[in-house]
Amino acid sequence: MLEWIARGLRKGVVTSRYPRGAEPELDGFHGRVEIVETDGARDELEALCPTGAISVSGGLVSLDRGRCILCGACVEAEPERFRFSPAYETASRRRAGVVVGASVERQLEAVRLPLGEQARPLRRSIHIRHVDAGSDGAEEWEISALTNPYYDMQRLGLYFTLSPRHADVLLVTGGVTRSMEKPLERAYEVMPEPKAVVAAGTDACSGGFAATTGEIAGGVDRVLPVDVYVPGSPPSPIALLHGLLLAAGVVTEDGR
Amino acid sequence: MRLERASTDHAQRFLEGRFRGALEHAPDGTTVLRLPLGALDRAAVLLADEGARFISVFVAAAPERSLVAAFAFRGQIAALRAPLTEDAAAYPALSLHLPAARLAERELHDREGLTPLGHPELTPALRPDADALEQRIVGDETFVIPYGPIRSGIFEAIQHVVETGGEDVLALETRPYFKHRGLEARFGGLEPVQGAVLAERIAGIASVAHAAAFSQAVEAALRIDPPEQAALWRTVHAELERLANHLDVATKLAEDAALSVAVARFGILKEDTMRVRARLCGSRFGRGVVVPGGIATTQLLDPAELRDWLGRFEHDLVRDRRLLLRTSSFTDRLIGSGRLDRTTVETLGGVGPVARAVGISTDARFERPYGAYERLGFDVVTAENGDAMARLDVRFGEIRESLHLIRQALDRLQRIGETTRLRMDLPAGEGGGFGWVEAPQGELVYWVELADGRIRRVHVSSPSLHNWPLFVASFRGDVLTDFSFIEHSFGLTAAGADR
Repeated sequence: MLEWIARGLRKGVVTSRYPRGAEPELDGFHGRVEIVETDGARDELEALCPTGAISVSGGLVSLDRGRCILCGACVEAEPERFRFSPAYETASRRRAGVVVGASVERQLEAVRLPLGEQARPLRRSIHIRHVDAGSDGAEEWEISALTNPYYDMQRLGLYFTLSPRHADVLLVTGGVTRSMEKPLERAYEVMPEPKAVVAAGTDACSGGFAATTGEIAGGVDRVLPVDVYVPGSPPSPIALLHGLLLAAGVVTEDGR
Repeated sequence: MRLERASTDHAQRFLEGRFRGALEHAPDGTTVLRLPLGALDRAAVLLADEGARFISVFVAAAPERSLVAAFAFRGQIAALRAPLTEDAAAYPALSLHLPAARLAERELHDREGLTPLGHPELTPALRPDADALEQRIVGDETFVIPYGPIRSGIFEAIQHVVETGGEDVLALETRPYFKHRGLEARFGGLEPVQGAVLAERIAGIASVAHAAAFSQAVEAALRIDPPEQAALWRTVHAELERLANHLDVATKLAEDAALSVAVARFGILKEDTMRVRARLCGSRFGRGVVVPGGIATTQLLDPAELRDWLGRFEHDLVRDRRLLLRTSSFTDRLIGSGRLDRTTVETLGGVGPVARAVGISTDARFERPYGAYERLGFDVVTAENGDAMARLDVRFGEIRESLHLIRQALDRLQRIGETTRLRMDLPAGEGGGFGWVEAPQGELVYWVELADGRIRRVHVSSPSLHNWPLFVASFRGDVLTDFSFIEHSFGLTAAGADR
């Protein structure tokens, strides 16, 4: 056991300073797609995207990151218009908040207060229950990475819990398959108030590639009220951390 | 262990001798035999008796609507193809004689409405109900524990129904398909390059393996060979993926044993691997690299930098592994847990590290070398004991071999020098082809059909689906507290099995 302790100490501190300091962005990382040029778009642009994330209206283009699976087809075809960016603060408390580009109709969405504003002590101690409702398995890796020494989410008062009865946040991956609909609803029902639901990943936001197969509901918000949408295929651990802190009310969207 | 590769001529001679007149076509290591539907089961048994391993059974549309049973046979894929008439609704079940075919035939029944006559447990598979629990062992003091589909921890959805008297696992049923997303059907109508994107999302933790198996199937259907450099880069990405997967298993096992420093150490090694993959191609899962015809990405990291990283990584890994394998509170939980024997693994058609841990030296990279593997040297790592410890030993051995393979691939890339072309244009073409890789979980096989430059049909044979029944079979005298050790030692992915 002493050998293990010595081994652990030798490495020193590797932990991210986020959110107190910015996480260094990795050049060339496919964190999300940015629109460089909104104007002068042809209608055919929409066909570039296999999941229907690109819309063109009156020559103006918009991108729904909640549908974007980061395949890069648009970046390859139209490098002057789209590019990958390593940015990670992509999550939003509204579904329309993950849509970027030209004048999206900003409907008023009913938004619950962040947990930290509903109950002050929750800012410092949030218990998270993860439910896989039909992911591709990559999201689970990125979520479990949050406990490794690089991200060490316990330092921010975020903990995973095994029972939904002890959970403040339901962290859901996948577009909700038929078999997972009932278990997911039940997990949500037994959570104590106040509670929040975080849709982790593009599949959880919209169903992604599987949205049209008829085997999934097409996003967590078809089954449960969602508080935070975290796009990405899969979202990186730091993007997930941002989403969780948004649900907790530790960071705000406009505070970027 | 160094092995002699089976002669493919030998396989073809055998098949020609036994199935006179049936031999249809034999391109690139695949032999197709055309048979009447009623003879499919007898032919399958004959092949299995000769040592063929069942891969899958599925409906193909090219060259005509047929039922296809695929086997791994003496360094080839042997496919039995039985044309289906319009009104064909049933056929003699393969699983009567080949237990390895049970799940595949249940799936086939759900998908295509074809009834395998005589199937021993023909119940619907694809959309399981979490509440439909059946108690098989009835007694005053036995009860049923459903583990899942919401698991205790950050794990994928699957349901293990355990029957216990308190401590012993008396009976276990593993129920996959909670994550069935209908992705095979989603391929229809996509362009081949989009198909690779979808393949990556069938099992995210084996994205590179899925994209490669899919792409190789397209390349086989179109009879093209991607450039040498592309094949080498595919190897680099595939072996990095294997590192990450095997480290994930080590981390989870250390977590089961509550060794918090070991969890942190192996978590760091895994995260380092994910980060170097991101530096290499922009994606932590190697996504967007492998496309039909070659590779798509521009390399972001200099091969020399990757080589330096490999050195630092191995330096850390060797010390952590040595310490982990010396920690008796860890090894005690693995030795003897979830033990499988060779006969069970062969009967159920097991693949990957699970099969290699009982001494079966099966590895698609070696049996039917694809891409650059024919020109690279590596050992197929095996162990004898068949328990959780043996499976971890195999994984650690494979990490060593993967590092060796990556270094060889980088050497060759350096020798070739400046990049010429990493991606071929796809010619127009029709037809179907098999593609296969050794994914971290085991052999992964794709069948892809193309028509008019688009995908018509895809079938995926996932290593996880083959190995779940082995997980069930491995519980012999094990107790509830061994459960997570045994499960994690298998290193399977529900997404890959469920599709």
